[in-house]
Amino acid sequence: MRRSLAAAALAALLCVPAAGQSMSPMRGQVASFDDAFAVRVFPANPYGHRIRIAVRVYDQEFRPVAARIAPNDFMLGADASRPVLVVVPFDGAATRKVRICTESVPFPGEQTQIKAQICGKFLGQRRF
Amino acid sequence: MESKPVLAALAASCLAVPAGAANVTFEGSVTPTCTLTVNSNGIMKVSANLQSLSSHNAGGQAGVVQLTTTGGVQVSVDPVTDADLKPSADTSATTWTPTYAAAGAHTISETGSATTLSAPGTSTVSVHLAGTKAGSDRFAAGDYSATVVVLCEE
Repeated sequence: MRRSLAAAALAALLCVPAAGQSMSPMRGQVASFDDAFAVRVFPANPYGHRIRIAVRVYDQEFRPVAARIAPNDFMLGADASRPVLVVVPFDGAATRKVRICTESVPFPGEQTQIKAQICGKFLGQRRF
Repeated sequence: MESKPVLAALAASCLAVPAGAANVTFEGSVTPTCTLTVNSNGIMKVSANLQSLSSHNAGGQAGVVQLTTTGGVQVSVDPVTDADLKPSADTSATTWTPTYAAAGAHTISETGSATTLSAPGTSTVSVHLAGTKAGSDRFAAGDYSATVVVLCEE
């Protein structure tokens, strides 16, 4: 368990964030010595008010992936950004491509709501 | 006769490149980024024949999203399969069609397909949603609500 967390933390450090985006980075390649790889993304709130943000992980066909996301749903203040750690299992594969998406509905409860979804593509490669 | 120009050239070269000078190079890299800011949601209005509930109809209004990117991303809208909210009296099928158009740094004619944005800049994206009923089906009295997902991905 400790080894797994250490590998995940090390892998997460390899993804360098950029400030002031809705989600950054939008691409990444991570090498992992464990049965999961980790990516740290930085969702940002460009609005002048608090919004609820969800972080989700999908495969290439937009099917949900059972990844650990911490935190996966949260409120984010105006013009703020925060780190989110995503740990994706390889599920026995040597490589795995996933989409990590930041989703928000900034003005809920109206007739035609618009959900903004920013997705990045990430490749995990398992080292043996 | 020729020594003067040679000496002048040597002097000039000494002034231009002092001993011990070195070039300092800078490198940088910009990765693809995308920011979507929803400025306003849309409004759908029903048509006179009650078979269309659309932001294109009279009194309707497109949703407005501001998109800022470095380029190297793709924008699209996800299919809408059903309304989030509809009157209980509406039991017939509705076909929902989300579309979008963009103006500004990127010019996109109204489409429902994905568009690759290679240029950087900021654009205003207009998002439309149209629900249609076929045959003798009609929209029922009551409140409707639907969600259009605007996707920007690398």
